[in-house]
Amino acid sequence: MTARIHGTVIAALVCAGAVLVTAVAAVPVARSTVTYETPAVTLIREDGKRVSLPRELDDGRPVLLNFIFTTCSSICPLTSRTLEEFQHKLGSEAARVHLMSISIDPEQDTPARLSEYARKFHAGPEWQYYTGTVAASLAAQRAFDVYRGEKMSHTPVTLMRAAPGEPWLRIEGFVTPDELLDDYRNLLASLGSPARAGR
Amino acid sequence: MPNEPRGAGRAAALALPLLMWACALGAAHASPAAGETLYRRGLLPSGEPVRAVREAGASMQGTDAACVNCHRRSGLGSSEGRITIPPISGQYLFAPQGKRLEELGIPFVDTARLNHEPYTDATLARAIREGSGASGRPLNYLMPRYQIDDAAMAELIAYLKGMTVGPAPGASASVLHFATIITPDADPVKRRGMLDVMNKYFTDKNGAVARTKAPTLYSSHTMMFRVERRWQLHVWELTGAPATWGAQLRQHLAAEPVFAAISGLGGSNWEPVHRFCEQQSLPCLFPNVEAPAGNDDDFYSVYFSRGVLLEAQLIARQLAEAGEPIRRVVQVFRAGDVGEKAARDLQALRGGSGQQIVNRVLKAHGSVQELGAALREVGSADALVLWLRPEDLVSLERVPVRTSRVWISGGMGGLERAPLPASWRAATRMAYPVDLPGQRVVRVDYALSWFRIRKIPLVAQQVQVDTYLACGLVSETLSHMVDAFVRDYLIERVEMALDHRVLTGYYPRLTLAPGQRFASKGGYMVRFTEPQGSKVAALGDWITP
Repeated sequence: MTARIHGTVIAALVCAGAVLVTAVAAVPVARSTVTYETPAVTLIREDGKRVSLPRELDDGRPVLLNFIFTTCSSICPLTSRTLEEFQHKLGSEAARVHLMSISIDPEQDTPARLSEYARKFHAGPEWQYYTGTVAASLAAQRAFDVYRGEKMSHTPVTLMRAAPGEPWLRIEGFVTPDELLDDYRNLLASLGSPARAGR
Repeated sequence: MPNEPRGAGRAAALALPLLMWACALGAAHASPAAGETLYRRGLLPSGEPVRAVREAGASMQGTDAACVNCHRRSGLGSSEGRITIPPISGQYLFAPQGKRLEELGIPFVDTARLNHEPYTDATLARAIREGSGASGRPLNYLMPRYQIDDAAMAELIAYLKGMTVGPAPGASASVLHFATIITPDADPVKRRGMLDVMNKYFTDKNGAVARTKAPTLYSSHTMMFRVERRWQLHVWELTGAPATWGAQLRQHLAAEPVFAAISGLGGSNWEPVHRFCEQQSLPCLFPNVEAPAGNDDDFYSVYFSRGVLLEAQLIARQLAEAGEPIRRVVQVFRAGDVGEKAARDLQALRGGSGQQIVNRVLKAHGSVQELGAALREVGSADALVLWLRPEDLVSLERVPVRTSRVWISGGMGGLERAPLPASWRAATRMAYPVDLPGQRVVRVDYALSWFRIRKIPLVAQQVQVDTYLACGLVSETLSHMVDAFVRDYLIERVEMALDHRVLTGYYPRLTLAPGQRFASKGGYMVRFTEPQGSKVAALGDWITP
C-alpha cells in the first residue's frame, strides 16, 4: 500500500513535470493500456541464438519492448539513448527488468550489427536485441501494432508490461528517461505488492 | 499564408536566386571545409567532437550529433514516420516568410515549411545552440542543442549558406543528361543487351514526354515549376588500363556533364569507376557488376547486391556450419576474374577458423587440362569451392568428383542454367544470390514482356532485367523529386523509394537506408534436382549472412 501511494505521489510529480516538458517541447506523448497476443515466432538474438518471442517476453520479469533498426539516423538513436538512460537510472534494479529491441530491418541487422549497436548504447546483459526473417519481424511488428508499411515510416513507440499475462502500457512519442522510469514504477505499483512487482 | 501579387512574385523569383547565389559565393571564402566537417562528421575546427544535449538532458557528441544524420548530406531534410525534418540549406532558412517556393526560385521539397520568419545569422545560431526557431518557438524535441563557439558557428552557417540547391550540372530546363559507364573488359554480349534496353527506355520516356503537354512555367502553384524533361543518354566507353579510367571518366564528365550515371557494365574491376563516382560526387545507380567495389560507408554508388562477394559470405557461412568438420577448403578460380576477389573474401572470412584454405589459380585463358590438374589432389575430406564460368563447368565432365562437399558460384556459373555435368550435381551446392526461379517469375516476366513488345532481343537476361529495373527506379525517384535536381538528394530519395518498390525483378525485395549501399541482402543455397536441365531446389530459407 505504501508503495502504491508512494508511486502515485511520484507519478503526480512527474506528470506535472511531463506537462511542462510537453508544453515546451510540443511533443505529445500518448499512453494507452492495450492487450496484445504475442505471435509464436522465432527470432535470432544478437548472440546468434534462435529464440522464441513468447518465451523471451514471458521470462517472468517486467519487460520493455521497442522496435529499431541500426541504420536509422533520426528516431532510433534517440529512443535507444532513452532506454540506455532508463537502464542507467534503474541502477541495481536494472537486472530485474528485461529490455527488448526488435529490428524492423532484419536483413541488414545481422546479430553482429545488433551487437555493435548494443555496445554503442552500453546495453547491459538484460537488454537484448533481436533479428530474424523478414516474416518473423513483420509478424512481431503487426502483433504490437507498430508496422507502418516500411521502415522509414516507423514512429517512436515504447511498450511496457509488468508481468506475463498483464496488459501492456503503450507509450507513443518521445518519452524522456525520467518519464519512462516513472511509467515503470507506476506500472509495478499498479500490480500490487512490492514482492509481486519485484519478482 | 499571405500572398504577394503575382507580378511581384515573378520579379522576386528572378531576383532572389541571383541574390542567394551571390550570398553563397560571398560565404565561400570563410573556409567551408570546417563547416562541412562539423555538418557531416560532428567535428569542431579544433578536431574535438561537437557536444550537444537534448531537452531532457540526454547528451551526444561527434558523429552521433552530426547535422547530416537528420538533415542529410543534401541539406534538404528527410522524413521519418510522422516527423518531418526540414531543409537547412541557406536558401530555405533565409527565405522570406509568406512567399511560395516557386516565387522565390527555390525547388520544392516536401519537407520545406516556410511558415516561419526568415532566419538571421543570430537567430540561426540561437536555434542551433538553444533549440528555438526564428520566432523564438521551441524546435522539435529531436533537435539537439549544440555547444558551438562563435568561430565554429560562423563556419557552420557559412557552410549552410553555401549549400546550393540550384540544378546540378546535367540538369537543364529541358534535358536531363545521364551517363552509362562501360569498362573495356565488359562482356560484349551483355553490353549489347544493356544498351538495347537503355536506348529503348530513353526513347520511350522521351516519347511519353513529347505526348504530354508540358505545363507552362509557373502555370500552377500546386505543380510548382515542374516541367517534363527529356532524358539524354551518354555512353562512356572506357579503354586501356584501369589506371587510366579515372582520367578518362573525368574527361567525359567535363565534356558531357551528367546528373547521374545509370546502370553500366563492368568486368572484373569496377574499383576505378566506384572511386571516380565518390570523388566527383556523382550518383552511380545500380551498375551491372559481379563484384562491386566499396562498402556501406561510401555514398554515391548504389548496387543491387554484393554479387559474388555475397556468394563468398553465403559459402563461408556454410563452411562454418558444416556438420562434419572440414579441415581443408580448396578454391579454384581463374586469374583476374571476379572469382579471385570472391575467393580472397572467403579466405578472409574463414581466417582463424582452423580450416586451411588452399587457392588453386588457373591461368586467365588456360586449358581444360589445367582445371583437371588443379582438382587432382582434392580428397574426400576436403571441401571444394569453384569460382568458375560455364565453359569451365562443362569441362568438369572429364574430371572425377572426389568430395561430396562442393560449392559453385551461381552468379558466375549462370544460375540454374549452369552447365554442371550430371556426375557433379549430387555433390554440389550453388550459391544463388537472387530469388528462386518460381518465385521471381512474375516480377521478371514484367520486364521480359516489355522487351518482347519492343522487340528487344533477349541476350543476357539478368543484366537486361536489372538494367530495366535501374531505369525504372531512377524514373520513379525523379518523379518524387519534382525540381530539386541535387545529386545528393537523388541518392537520398533512392534510399527512400526502394522500400516501396513492388516489382523488384530478380530480387525478393530491395531496401536501403543511410549507410546501406547494397539493396538486396541475401541469397539461397540451391541444388540441382535432376541430372540434366535447370531445375533447382533451395536447401533452406533465404540467408542473409
